[in-house]
Amino acid sequence: MITYTKHILNNGLTVLANRDCTSQLAAVNLLYKVGARNEKPSCTGLAHLFEHLMFRGTHNVADFDTPVQMACGENNAFTNNDYTNFYITLPTDNIQTALWLESDRMHGLNLSEKAISIEKRVVIEEFRQRYLNQPYGDINMLLRELVYTTHPYRWATIGLSPDHIEQASAEEIRAFYNRYYQPSNAILSISGNIAEDEVFALAEKWFAPISNDCTPHDIIPVEPVQTEARRKEIERDVPATVIIIAFHMGDRLSRDFFLGDMASDLLAGGDSARLYERLIKKKRLFSSVNAYISGDVDCGTFCFTGQLLPSTTEEQAEAALWEEISELQQGKISDYEIEKVKNKFEANTLFGELNVMNKAMNLGYYEMIGDLPLINREVEVYRSLQRSDIADFAQRIFREENSSTLIYRAGK
Amino acid sequence: MRQPEITIPTTIKVPAAERIVAQNGTSIYAIKCPEYKVVRISFVFEAGSTRQLHPFIASATANMLAEGSQNLSAQQIAERLDYYGSYFDINIDRDHAYITFCTLSKFFSQTAEIIEEVILRPTFPQEETATYCAKRKQQLTIERRKVEHIARENFAKAMFGAEHPYGISYSEERYDDITSEMLSDHYRRCYTAEGCIVVCSGDLTDDVLQRVLSITESLPHATADNEFVSPPVHTTHQMFIPHDEAVQASIRMGRMLFGRTHEEFIPMQVLSTILGGYFGSRLMQNLRERNGFTYGVYSAMVNFQQAGYLALATQVGYEVKEAALEEIAREIETLRQEPVSEEELSLVKNIMAGEMMRILDGPFGIADVTTENILCGFDNSHIQQNLERIRQTTPEELQALAQKYLRPEDLVTVVVG
Repeated sequence: MITYTKHILNNGLTVLANRDCTSQLAAVNLLYKVGARNEKPSCTGLAHLFEHLMFRGTHNVADFDTPVQMACGENNAFTNNDYTNFYITLPTDNIQTALWLESDRMHGLNLSEKAISIEKRVVIEEFRQRYLNQPYGDINMLLRELVYTTHPYRWATIGLSPDHIEQASAEEIRAFYNRYYQPSNAILSISGNIAEDEVFALAEKWFAPISNDCTPHDIIPVEPVQTEARRKEIERDVPATVIIIAFHMGDRLSRDFFLGDMASDLLAGGDSARLYERLIKKKRLFSSVNAYISGDVDCGTFCFTGQLLPSTTEEQAEAALWEEISELQQGKISDYEIEKVKNKFEANTLFGELNVMNKAMNLGYYEMIGDLPLINREVEVYRSLQRSDIADFAQRIFREENSSTLIYRAGK
Repeated sequence: MRQPEITIPTTIKVPAAERIVAQNGTSIYAIKCPEYKVVRISFVFEAGSTRQLHPFIASATANMLAEGSQNLSAQQIAERLDYYGSYFDINIDRDHAYITFCTLSKFFSQTAEIIEEVILRPTFPQEETATYCAKRKQQLTIERRKVEHIARENFAKAMFGAEHPYGISYSEERYDDITSEMLSDHYRRCYTAEGCIVVCSGDLTDDVLQRVLSITESLPHATADNEFVSPPVHTTHQMFIPHDEAVQASIRMGRMLFGRTHEEFIPMQVLSTILGGYFGSRLMQNLRERNGFTYGVYSAMVNFQQAGYLALATQVGYEVKEAALEEIAREIETLRQEPVSEEELSLVKNIMAGEMMRILDGPFGIADVTTENILCGFDNSHIQQNLERIRQTTPEELQALAQKYLRPEDLVTVVVG
C-alpha cells in the first residue's frame, strides 16, 4: 500500500507526495510524458537522445552530476516508448538540491551545437554496440516492424536508424525540447519523510516560476486491426534459431492487460511454470522459452519466444507453442496454477514497495498511465480474475490472423 | 534560482537489532519493521571454502541445500516456495555461507515449513549432486578462458600464496571427485549451532520470532572443531600471465592490509574511493576520460574474517597495458606526494555517506548491514561511528596513509593478457 496526495501547480505540473516516516532518504522522480511514440517516422530516436542531453548541463549549472554527489545523492534516467524518467535519491535534508537541478533543466537546457554533437556520437555508438554488433541485437527491431504497420511502436526507443540521430538538426532538437519538456507534460513524485504540505510548498517554490508554453496533445496514429497472419524469416550469424510469435492485445488500462499479464505468468513465471516444465524439461525442444507482454500504454503485444535446440525443427517448435496456446484456450488451467500466479503477483508488488525510490517511481508511472488509484488496487484486480476469463482472453487474442511470426534463423 | 545550501548528514539512524539467544547458544537478531508486510530471514554459517576438506565442497553444499530433503524433492521445494511467491538466495564466500529466505508475512508459516527442510534436513541426493557438479565444471571451464577470471584467481594466489585457504584455486577436474557423502559431511561439520547467526527483518510478530527460534534451536551442536586459523601468507609481488586469444588485458593491483575491525580501515576506504571508488575517481578520469584505455576501473577495500586488502581492477586494450600500468602507478604516487584538495575530499566523503544511506534504505538493506556488523563483532551503533570516522578524515591523514601503505615495493600486480 502506497499512500499519496496529489496537487497540480498553476503551470500544469502534477505533484505527488508519499510520506515515508522510516527513511532518511528522499526520492525525487520526474517523469516526462514523452517517449519514442511521440516521434515522427522521419526523425526517430529523439526521446532517447534527450535523456542523454538532459545530463549535459544548463546555462546556470554546467555539470549536473557533481552537485548531486556533493549532496550525497545519486541520479539516473531511462527512456522507453511511452515516457522518459529521471530520478535522484539523496538525504531528505538535501531535497532542495534535487528540485533546484530538476527545475533548472526543465527550462534552461544547454542545447549548444557542441553539446548536441557530443551526445549524438555517444548515442550512435550505443546504437552500434547494443543493436547492430550484438548477436540477436536487431531481433526486437525486426519484430516491431512486422507487428506494427502504423503505430509508432513500430520502432524501438533507440530509433529506426543511426542516420536519424546523425541527421537530426539543432532546430528539430530544440523544438522537441520546447514541445515536450514543459511543466504540464511532467509528473513530479516524491517519497520521503516530509509532510505532504511541505512537499507541495517546495514544488511551488522551485517549479511554479516556470511558465508552461505549450501543452502537447499528440494524435498518435492508431494501429489498424490485423486481418491476416504475418511472417518473416531471416538468417543471421548466431548460434541458435529463435522463434517469436506475437499477438496484438489491449492497452494498459483495459482488462485484457491484466489477463495477458496473468496468462504470461501462467506460461512463463519462473522455473515451475508451464513452458519451462513442458517444452524444456519434458519435450526438450528449446534451450530457453518465454511468454511476456510488452506492457505498453497503448495497445501492446503478447509474445511467445523460444530458442531452439539444434535437434528441433522450426515446425516442431512452432507446433509446440501453438499446442500450449490451445491448452489455454480450452481452459485447461488448474486452480492451483491460478492461485500460484496470484500469490506471486502480490509478493512481487510488496517486494517492489520497500524503498523510497521504488515508491516515487511507481507513483509517477501510475499517474502517467492515467489511473493513479490503480497503484493500490492492482493486487485486488488480479485476485478477481477467473479461469474462464483467461480462456476467453486466449480465444480472442491468440488467433492465427492476429499473429506475427518471426523466424530468426541461425546461419553459418 | 540559486543553489540551495546542502547539509551533510551527521547521523544515520538505524534501528537496533534485538538479540534473542536460543537454547543451543545461537543468536537471532531481529530488526522489526512492521509497516512492511514481508519477512526476510538469513542464516549465516561458518561454512565457506576455508572450512572445506575437499575442493569445491563448501559452495556445492550451500548450493545443494534445496535440492532435496528428507520429506521433499528438489522440485517440491521449488514448487512450494514459488506457490507462495517466496524465494531464497544462496551466497558463499571464503568464510561464510548465507542462506536467505523472503516471503510475504501472510505466507510465513507455509514458507517456514520449507525453511526447516532446507536448513535442517537436506539429503544431497546422488543424482542431483552429479548434475550440479557437471554443470559447474563446465561453467568454470568456460570462465577460466576469460582474462578477468584468470586475473581474479591469480591475484588471490599472488596475495596470499598458492596453498593459503584465501589464495588457493583448484583444477575444475576436481569436481569429478565430489560425492554426496562429502556434502553431507561438510553439512554436519559446518551447519551447526556454533558459528551460526540468524538475522531477520520485516514484519516480525511474536509468532514469526517463535518459529524462527524453534528452527534455530533445532540446529545440532558441532561434533568437531571447525575453527579456522589463517596460516602465514606468501606474497608474490609480480605475476604476468600471457594469454593468446585476449584482445584485452586484465589488470589487478593491490596490497595486503587489514580487515574491517582495524582502526585504519575506514580512512583507507576513503583513500581507495578517491583512487577508484566512484565514477569521477582519479583512475576513471585518467584511464577512461583522458586516455580512453578502458571502459571502467574500480578500487575497493576487501574484507575477510582474518585478513583484508586493497585491490583495484580494470581491463584495458592489449596494446596499452604497459601505458595503463604506468598511469596507475602515477596516480598512486600522486596520492603519496600531494595532499588531496579539500574540495575533492568533501565530494568523496559525501558520496560515501550517501552510499551508506542508500544501502540502509528499507528493511532488507538494514538486515544486510546488520549481518556485516555482527560478523565483525560490532552492533549497529558502528554505522554512526563509521560515518563520523569518514567525516574526520583529513588530507594530511590520507597522504600519510598513502606514504605508509602504498609504497611501490609493497604492491602486488597481476596482469593477464
